[in-house]
Amino acid sequence: MKKILLAATALSSLAMAAQAQNVNICVEGAYPPFSSTEASGDVVGFDIDIANALAAEMGMEATMVKTDWDGIIPALLEGKCDAIIASMSITEERKQVIDFSAKYYNSPAGFIGAEGMMADMLDGKVVGVQRGTIHQDFMEGEFPNVELRLYGSQDEVYLDLTAGRIDAAMGDSIAMDDGFLSTDAGADYAFFGEMYSVPQYHGEGAGVGVRQDDTELRDKFSAAILAIRASGEYASINDKYFEIDIYGGE
Amino acid sequence: MENLIEYTPLLLRGAVTTISLALAALVMATLLGSLGAIGKISGGRMTRALVFAYTTIVRGVPDLVLILLIYFGGQRLINIAGKAMGVEYIELSKFWAGVAAIGFIYGAYLTETFRGAYMTVPAGQREAAMSMGMRPLQVLRAVTLPQLIRFALPGYANVWQVLIKSTAVVSVIGLEDLVGLANDAGKSVREPFLFFTAVFFAYLFFTWVSQSIFNAAERRYALKEHSDAV
Repeated sequence: MKKILLAATALSSLAMAAQAQNVNICVEGAYPPFSSTEASGDVVGFDIDIANALAAEMGMEATMVKTDWDGIIPALLEGKCDAIIASMSITEERKQVIDFSAKYYNSPAGFIGAEGMMADMLDGKVVGVQRGTIHQDFMEGEFPNVELRLYGSQDEVYLDLTAGRIDAAMGDSIAMDDGFLSTDAGADYAFFGEMYSVPQYHGEGAGVGVRQDDTELRDKFSAAILAIRASGEYASINDKYFEIDIYGGE
Repeated sequence: MENLIEYTPLLLRGAVTTISLALAALVMATLLGSLGAIGKISGGRMTRALVFAYTTIVRGVPDLVLILLIYFGGQRLINIAGKAMGVEYIELSKFWAGVAAIGFIYGAYLTETFRGAYMTVPAGQREAAMSMGMRPLQVLRAVTLPQLIRFALPGYANVWQVLIKSTAVVSVIGLEDLVGLANDAGKSVREPFLFFTAVFFAYLFFTWVSQSIFNAAERRYALKEHSDAV
């Protein structure tokens, strides 16, 4: 028994030495342009480029672990990956289970609807949001007179918006602009009302999620984000996907 | 449409995962179902109670809950056990977690299918064979099993059709099956309808192929008995 244990310890320390240079990162693959699946099955997008840049900055090799959004926090907690880079907003609620680095971007939230829709017409109307997001919390807190409809993904929100089942949708401005308004399906739709960035709901932006006891890794990610901001690496990735700098305020 | 053609190899890879998962789960379900049926028919009190608990719990809990429990809960157990033994992280495979969950669930349904088929073979036939001097195993092989298979086939085919569809729930643990990949691809190129339509036809195709196979099997077992009787 002792021998087996010794062998197992030796094996595991070997594995640790090999893993030291590698960091497994949970990504989603269904949230363009941040994270999408290519025909080859590879995941590409802003989140993935940022993940690779951060890992390189930290002197590590990143391996992408594609995970369904609904299972992404459990996957981190059970060690399927070491970090989540999936446009996940930093919120108090999530902080009770996992920890976050500093933000790596922060884009405002807004409403979209058919052309001609106005913010003062919202009372009693049906608004779609993706379930379990900050946008759901924001709508519940700030627009109690609106009927909310919850969806598993942002695309189902768009499908029901074009089908006329909902009057408007609330979500991230970049994701909705890129994912819907600038596509053929979104031709007759537009942003209306204000853009919102309320810290109480919208928080500090999207950060890298890590397990609560991984403070060292968390701090490394935070430092790496500032480093790629300073080196211009961030700007070159940003410009590949967006017209504006999505980092938000410094 | 171009997008769909471009993504076809990826979707085919997903279809292969779906089918291998379903077949592996069917093998496991068949084993569990046979054991369950034997336990229910000829087991002692304890065995019968155990099988009863198995079929009741499994048939009462949604597939999704069981799969999440087995994949994430199983990983937690492995992590805890690993830590206690000083072993580094051991990964629980998504594929085998999916097979375990679906096989475990449909084993419960097959238990009832097999038990029902066994009950349909008249006890008088077994008694007659025994009185001719045949041993229990001979009776099983020559009298009970051929008829049991015949009676069980329609129910078995039915369970298979439901099983292959229920493999779609494994995409929640990130396994890249047909539905999971079509979902990701559809969202990535923003044509979810197109990709789900493709999935619709793929599943219809699976159903059609399995139906043909089971029809052939049913004919085989029906004919054989007919010609034996003549």
